[in-house]
Amino acid sequence: MAQANPSGIDPVAAKQAIVEYATKRGALALGVASLEACERIAPPGHRPTDLFPRVRSVIALGVGGQTRGAWQMPAKAMAYSGSTEVRAYKLAYGLAFFIEQRFGAPSIYVPPDLDPEGGPRVPLQSLKLHAELAGIGARSLAGDILLHPEFGFMYYASVFTELELPVDAPMQENPCPAPSCVNLYRSIGRTPCMKFCPAQCLNGEVDERGQQKVMRYDMATCAELTQEYEAVPKILAEAVRDEVRGVEDGGAARLLDADSKMLWYKVSAGSGAWFAQCFECMRVCPIATRAPLADPILRTEPLRAAKRKG
Amino acid sequence: MAGGMDRAQLGVTEAMLAAYGEEVFRMSHNVQLREGDPVRRLDWAEIERQREGMGLSDAQIADRLGLTRKQVMFIRNSEESKRFRTGQQAYLLELGGSHRFRPERTVRLEARFRYSAAALELRAAFRFDPAQVKHFVGNGWWRDDTLTKWLARHEVTRPEAPALVHGATTVTWKLLAERVARFAEGLRRAGIARGEVVSLQLPNVPEFVIAYLAICRLGAVVSTVHMPYREAEIGTQVRHSRAVAAVCLAQAKNWSPAAAFLSCLKTVVALGPAVPGALSFAELEASPPLDRAVPAPVAADPFLLLYTSGTTAAPKAVPHNYHTMLSNARLSAPEHRLGPEDRILSAAPYAHLFGLYALHIALWTGAAQLLLAEFTPPDLAAAVAAGAPTALWTAPAHIAASRAMGFLDRNAWSSLRLAIMSGSACPPELVRDLAARLPACAVTQLWGMTETQAALYSRPGDAPEVAEQSAGRSSPGNEARVADLNDQIVPAGEEGELQIRGSALFPGFYDNAEATQAAFTADGWYRAGDLARMDAAGNVSITGRLKDAHPHDHQGTASRSVMI
Repeated sequence: MAQANPSGIDPVAAKQAIVEYATKRGALALGVASLEACERIAPPGHRPTDLFPRVRSVIALGVGGQTRGAWQMPAKAMAYSGSTEVRAYKLAYGLAFFIEQRFGAPSIYVPPDLDPEGGPRVPLQSLKLHAELAGIGARSLAGDILLHPEFGFMYYASVFTELELPVDAPMQENPCPAPSCVNLYRSIGRTPCMKFCPAQCLNGEVDERGQQKVMRYDMATCAELTQEYEAVPKILAEAVRDEVRGVEDGGAARLLDADSKMLWYKVSAGSGAWFAQCFECMRVCPIATRAPLADPILRTEPLRAAKRKG
Repeated sequence: MAGGMDRAQLGVTEAMLAAYGEEVFRMSHNVQLREGDPVRRLDWAEIERQREGMGLSDAQIADRLGLTRKQVMFIRNSEESKRFRTGQQAYLLELGGSHRFRPERTVRLEARFRYSAAALELRAAFRFDPAQVKHFVGNGWWRDDTLTKWLARHEVTRPEAPALVHGATTVTWKLLAERVARFAEGLRRAGIARGEVVSLQLPNVPEFVIAYLAICRLGAVVSTVHMPYREAEIGTQVRHSRAVAAVCLAQAKNWSPAAAFLSCLKTVVALGPAVPGALSFAELEASPPLDRAVPAPVAADPFLLLYTSGTTAAPKAVPHNYHTMLSNARLSAPEHRLGPEDRILSAAPYAHLFGLYALHIALWTGAAQLLLAEFTPPDLAAAVAAGAPTALWTAPAHIAASRAMGFLDRNAWSSLRLAIMSGSACPPELVRDLAARLPACAVTQLWGMTETQAALYSRPGDAPEVAEQSAGRSSPGNEARVADLNDQIVPAGEEGELQIRGSALFPGFYDNAEATQAAFTADGWYRAGDLARMDAAGNVSITGRLKDAHPHDHQGTASRSVMI
């Protein structure tokens, strides 16, 4: 358990208030990651203290993934519904204000953005690492996407605060692979996510106990198909290509060569309209969509039932 | 750039990119390998051991390779740009909720179909005035017509109704669709692709229709070759059209069309006895049906390339797409009062537009098409007697010859409700005589050209003087005017040049800019080259031809006023 804060705030009571705040506003899970572990695992430049030097606690929260209907959408539409994660960010943003207002402890909503100088696939902070260490998700065979045994596939957001809070432990068990996935793996050598990945970027092994042995994720292949953060630059690039087609002295080739990649990336960085994930691995994942409380309709059935009775 | 600095500021050279690119890419997070679950277990030894497998940050890579972090960033971004394909999300967009990834069904973008240079050249010939396009679409004249769709409609709605009748042979719509699908697959296997031109020289036999529809199904373009054409004309037309294949007779009366085509084409499909070097029509038709996934054409696709003069150094090739060609048939069928229960007989060959017009009317309405392989008065009379057509497409010469030989027997032709005469100037007396012989039949005239299609025609129910003395009035979607040499409209009843414009008009000659320029007025009307008078009701009488050098023709070639 963490020490009481200098201002006399009880860490346990503070955490309880934080959980209540977040839960009331839609968080399905909330945990506090070990700052020490985050600092030790994250590479230099991407550690919590690199962003917020006086951080004392790393809060991770998760909100529900797609609606049940969303999983029935064509892949194209699914991809564009990726901004569901904004719900998580909004909640974390509010939580940072809540902690400052309630406890007087400086806090920040951790920017989920990519490092604009680091290229299209380098985040400022690993929200995944925070959530995993906070015990609200475990790495799956589907490219390390976090899964929760009760809530399935969630979106995560983080808050750094100077408030000292009790730390949670990582999950005891990893829900991935599910028993049905193990059965399929033993039958064909692939789990559903591996089999149905449109980019075939997933590979791995399941051991004799039915647990993850090796996870291999070709992020480059995945990214160029389904997380094409260059999607907007590509649109711009196509427009430029049309404009300068036929121009002498290199024309489009010179404008669009590798050296100019960052230019296009920066042009699009603020657009907020990046092409997100394809979700095919999650669509076929029994945990992501069929964990006990993963389905928003099933999850809220008790509320509706109570209302009917009332 | 990296960190706002260019490569000169960073000190990155081409040599550095070459030397470190591979290693930077490998060390980065582009390929991740995790063994077990070390982070969740907080297994520090394993976390450290697997750190490189899970991907290093630019700073960590910089430490390993002795570079600056910004140099690593620049090299990594350059390497990723070099390696990554863009536009890959196209595959993702093709997936649906129930369509799972199947690698064997995925064709890489770069390996997908690409129009040939010749096909693109032909497609580029379709230039239409945007205002006209808006007008045609807005009025419903241009829709989504394709022969493939029309055939599919009849296959579903009247599968057992006769589509083709040739002698004792009847081909139902269902059977026709099946034979077309099989022959299309045969053509596809022979290398016929979307946009390519295929020469077609066959008489009016079922195989003509099958080949015609199969070529269309593949999105290829038909270039009909007139039956009298021999090696010289065939060679000229094939070269100009950039045809990649031909479908023709193996053997005609005293020559081999297949051999003639083989002298200028590698792919020749011969109907009849085996010809060395040629593919067999029957064998192609024995192919399995074409996969429905093969893209079907759309209405804006080029569809026909017809020659009005194929023997000169500057052939006049008339391109049509489905919009121009099929709108004419669809809009005209009600004007001719034709429907699915009709039986249409064309004495005109399908190689000519007039014959094709009959075929298209049948394909739109679902009427049966009675096939007459080659016109002779006795054969026409026999076809009429045996097939009991309700509509006849014929030329004045056909009727005159049949009458002269005593084949215009009233009883034998009593099934006719409509006769459309076109192809040359029609003497009023001939119309009058035929109408008198067939009182239940509307005898009408039609004027058109390959370029204009059926631009004018008289309608059933028109007054006798209109039917006898005029070529009728504009077909739906088309306009006619009579103009002087300055392209000014002349008063009703005065003689001038007939000019046409509308939704059925061709866009201009293929690969013959000079002829195109000469053929159109400044405001987009096509100069028909015929002298005509128009009455107040819009009925047009052809009065002669501009036989001398066409005043607007920069080449000084003789006017073509050959009717379809």
